[in-house]
Amino acid sequence: MPYYPARVNEHFLNPRNVGEVNQPDAVGQAGSLVCGAVMRLSLAIDEGLQRVTQARFRATGCGFLIASASVMTETITDLAISRAASLPETAFTDWFEELPENRAHCAALCRDALHAALANYHRATLNEWTGDEALICTCFGVSEKSIERAIHTESLRSVDGVTGANGAGGGCGSCRPLIEDILEDYWRTAALQPDSGIR
Amino acid sequence: MSDLIYLDNNATTRVAPEVRDAMQPYLADLYGNPSSAHTFGRKMRQAVERAREQVADLLNAASPDEIVFTSCGSESDNWSLRGVLEAHPDKRHIITTRVEHEAVRYLCEKLERDGYEVTCLDVNEEGLLDLESLRAAIRPDTAVVSVMLANNETGVLFPVEEIGRIVREMSSAVFHVDGVQAVGKIPIDVRLLNVDLFAISGHKFHAPKGVGALYVRDGVQLSSFIIGGGQEKGRRAGTESVPYIVALGAACKLASNFDASQSIRALRDKLEDTILAAIPNSRLNGTSDRERRLPNTANISFEHVEGEAILAQLDEAGVCVSTGSACNAESHVSSAVLRAMNVPYSAAQGSIRFSLGRYNTAAEIDYTLKTLPGIINRLVEMSPYENKRGEDRNTA
Repeated sequence: MPYYPARVNEHFLNPRNVGEVNQPDAVGQAGSLVCGAVMRLSLAIDEGLQRVTQARFRATGCGFLIASASVMTETITDLAISRAASLPETAFTDWFEELPENRAHCAALCRDALHAALANYHRATLNEWTGDEALICTCFGVSEKSIERAIHTESLRSVDGVTGANGAGGGCGSCRPLIEDILEDYWRTAALQPDSGIR
Repeated sequence: MSDLIYLDNNATTRVAPEVRDAMQPYLADLYGNPSSAHTFGRKMRQAVERAREQVADLLNAASPDEIVFTSCGSESDNWSLRGVLEAHPDKRHIITTRVEHEAVRYLCEKLERDGYEVTCLDVNEEGLLDLESLRAAIRPDTAVVSVMLANNETGVLFPVEEIGRIVREMSSAVFHVDGVQAVGKIPIDVRLLNVDLFAISGHKFHAPKGVGALYVRDGVQLSSFIIGGGQEKGRRAGTESVPYIVALGAACKLASNFDASQSIRALRDKLEDTILAAIPNSRLNGTSDRERRLPNTANISFEHVEGEAILAQLDEAGVCVSTGSACNAESHVSSAVLRAMNVPYSAAQGSIRFSLGRYNTAAEIDYTLKTLPGIINRLVEMSPYENKRGEDRNTA
């Protein structure tokens, strides 16, 4: 009888993607005050495609953390960073079938490290920001115009939808009320202009 | 399960075949009640009294009457403290230490909430007490001084004989010793140790779980905990658990004739020395003075790794150990014992207790020593900490 549930144990004993990306494009760290676990995630990102091409982690923590981190690196490899940013907390642990409630913070820690890495990546690219549009999401460098465009083209109705489309709001979350305002304004205006072509 | 390597003997031990044989008839034909007047019952009484003598012999009590059977070590500890406080209602002060077993530590916390005053003595980073602080803590209204003989996590031994002398010289307080982790591992002489109450637990030395005893020195006032049919001379009611009492007696007899502690010590020394020499981020918890530690226990921290991860990997390899790191959201606290010893967090998190017993073999220790470095290395490799290999350990 393994110490951890079978699928957790398998990743715990054979974790994928342990280590550091050579010359990473983004690095994120997270620690838990609950249990003292720490983890570090390094990413290689294709700048043109805005896609994660390689993910490596190191962690000190229990088997649930190590297994969650292992699954996370597999999940986000070859994923667009906007998609990676909007993955729910449970994305890395649903697959385990069995996650004790008191270990949910292990999975949360993985997502924290991922968000930290993506936020660092965008902060780095933000330094090169030259646009004159209002910047709403400073974590992922998404402007008001980009958000409106996404709402328009994809008919988005929720903040989560926006985050899924371009990452906005998926980092620290402080801009989520702003995105909500943009959504509200957009749809109110749309309602007043029934012939504007918006569905 | 024959390939299981059990290095968790401070948690519990295997029931010895000799003990099982001794108790078996009392689970079968010999089912009488020792309080019954008929011959069948009196036969049970004889068995209980023989066991009482065996326990008294092991502890070197002055008389078997000083031994009372209980259900476990925690009952013996709880009864001791509460029984003394009830017998001395004018005294409201308790002295204990920061590193006691939960059966004493949590009880004292509860007693403090209930209005008693508790002085908790500190230990130093080696896990040792400063006896001056004990002298300073004793007051005229101190009802009980409660310390353990051997620490369950580190194996560190308190100088109980000296503590007992100080308590007797300076006060009329009752001296309670939690001897649960020491019995069966080192020789015990309750008279030499100057103790008034001494708690023991059968399953720590090859009796089954569910039986313990309390040594109550003749003359010590102790209120009863369980009131009922007057068993144990009115001190602890409840029909005697004859099979388990017989087992406890047999385990005491086995421990009295036990001369293998030197071989356990040799195996422990080898395990401890080799780990500390071979694994760079390892450090011993508890005094390095082996005269002041149990011969079977080695508590070793592996810095910058999580104890649960080590435990789980050793478990996978068939080796049973314990960790002082409770890794869950309800109770994430590293061990209170290690915290009291000021073990740095990054080390306390990765603490592993190896506790050996009479059935461990040299081959098992060799296998453990062969398996462990690879496990630690893999986990260290995975660790995001800087200086995780302990290169700067001696420069701090």
